[in-house]
Amino acid sequence: MITTLLFILFAGMAIGCAIAMVSQSNPLYSAISLIGVFIALASLYVMLAAPFIAAVQVIVYAGAIMVLVIFVIMLLNVEHVEPRRKRLKWLVPVAVAMAAVLIAETAFILYSVQTSQANLRASGSEVGLTYSIGVNLFTTYLLPFEITSILLLMAIVGAMSLARRATILSPVARVVPGSQVLAMDLVNPGSTSDLPAVEADTTAEVRRLMGVDMPSDVQKDD
Amino acid sequence: MTIVFLTIMLLVAFTVLAERRVLAFIQGRVGPNRVGFGGVLQPFADFIKTMMKEDLVPDQSTKFVFLLAPMVAVVTAIMTLIVYPFGPTVTIPFLGTFPLVIARFDVALLYLLGVTSVGVYGIALAGWSSNNKYSLMGGLRSAAQMISYELALGLALIGVILIASTLDLFTIVEQQSAWYGMQWNIFYQPIGFILYLIAAIAETNRVPFDLPEAETELVAGFHTEYSSIKFLLFFNAEYINMITVSMLATTLFLGGWNVPFAAYLFGPGTILFALVSVIGFFAKILFFLFLYIWLRGTLPRFRFDQLMNFGWKFLLPAAILNIVVTATVLFFTTG
Repeated sequence: MITTLLFILFAGMAIGCAIAMVSQSNPLYSAISLIGVFIALASLYVMLAAPFIAAVQVIVYAGAIMVLVIFVIMLLNVEHVEPRRKRLKWLVPVAVAMAAVLIAETAFILYSVQTSQANLRASGSEVGLTYSIGVNLFTTYLLPFEITSILLLMAIVGAMSLARRATILSPVARVVPGSQVLAMDLVNPGSTSDLPAVEADTTAEVRRLMGVDMPSDVQKDD
Repeated sequence: MTIVFLTIMLLVAFTVLAERRVLAFIQGRVGPNRVGFGGVLQPFADFIKTMMKEDLVPDQSTKFVFLLAPMVAVVTAIMTLIVYPFGPTVTIPFLGTFPLVIARFDVALLYLLGVTSVGVYGIALAGWSSNNKYSLMGGLRSAAQMISYELALGLALIGVILIASTLDLFTIVEQQSAWYGMQWNIFYQPIGFILYLIAAIAETNRVPFDLPEAETELVAGFHTEYSSIKFLLFFNAEYINMITVSMLATTLFLGGWNVPFAAYLFGPGTILFALVSVIGFFAKILFFLFLYIWLRGTLPRFRFDQLMNFGWKFLLPAAILNIVVTATVLFFTTG
């Protein structure tokens, strides 16, 4: 009885948050709704006797990835973005087809679970525990586990090399001697391409490039 | 559960008082000593005063998120309390035998890390929704800082998990009760303990890692715009976090409720033994809280680039090295 009530509560929360996530125009509200979805899903995992998955769900998705997303939204300070309806027109039939596939998959899973419910009950509550997951990860599924971690490592290295190339190795990015790369060049590399190259006098050069006018006596003090 | 909640709230109140008094003594002042005997009632006076203040909401703020943020902060702080073992298994007449812990489950440690990582949102959203550039800076700084130090914090704990080979906190404490209650993990994991302590201080945004609320540059950072009960919630959350972090350090490294020789003097399972153990547990927490205050009175604040360099280039590699060494030693000793 209580299980059913809790399931309805958390499932409703997940669906409600998911709808809110898609329908919000403010990106930060969408992100908060997505966190709600993750937490509701984690609660459902706990009810399915899989506490390890639930904890990892909260740590990885709600705790790490969404913090980064919110971080970026806060940094960019995007306010209400008007939806561009004309560009999205061709997406409608694709979305309908995808939804049909998803519903078919769900129906198939529901059907197969209902036919094999006896097997599920027999495997008991040991499945979701840390010990059994650890043992399986490092024995039966060792190769997929290692391949996944190498894939993630490659993604990290790739992201780092792309980010570095965009800033330091870009031909238009200019490095002021003895200081950081100018923020202006990073944001809009094309805008400064017609400016002369960086000179040796750093403070004056930074001021000239940033467009800050300083009285000449202040410049001498520096 | 109610008892635990009330105890922690009282502990919060007196930690605030202790902080003000100890800081005063460190700085050669007297501190608040007028309300009650030696200032004992000062936190309650402060509480009433703060509650009486007008609850201001900035005009341009995002109202819903502005309201949500302090709730997230305080709820996640309180949620962590349920997994800590306060004392041993005790037999009380007419009530039966039970362990002195609210909830005991398989992934207690992961649960702690998960709830702590959700706690970041309280501060980050508060900074964003206030629509104040100081608050935004504070929120951004704290998000960056907590992401960076959470990694080092989690990795510093893995050494203990390797030794204990369980994530259940109650079992970890019980494993440390050999050697007359002195087989504490700190003797096996001294580096892990120091790394955890540093990362924990950074995680709770305390001096010398209190950049999110650096009052000299950010005007109190993320909670600049908060007043009255909402400010009180943030304040509470910060001190509860200090206490829970100290509790985790005690549980994992200093033997939890294990008091040397107590089990032999009073016999396991008796009420007296449980009482001594609970007192021992809280004594260890108080030591950590004193350490916090001591550090605040002693150390200056980091610069932000120093903070990031320290977290990513020193703490994280040191924690990984600690894991490798621990795993190697365990491989050759236990086979």
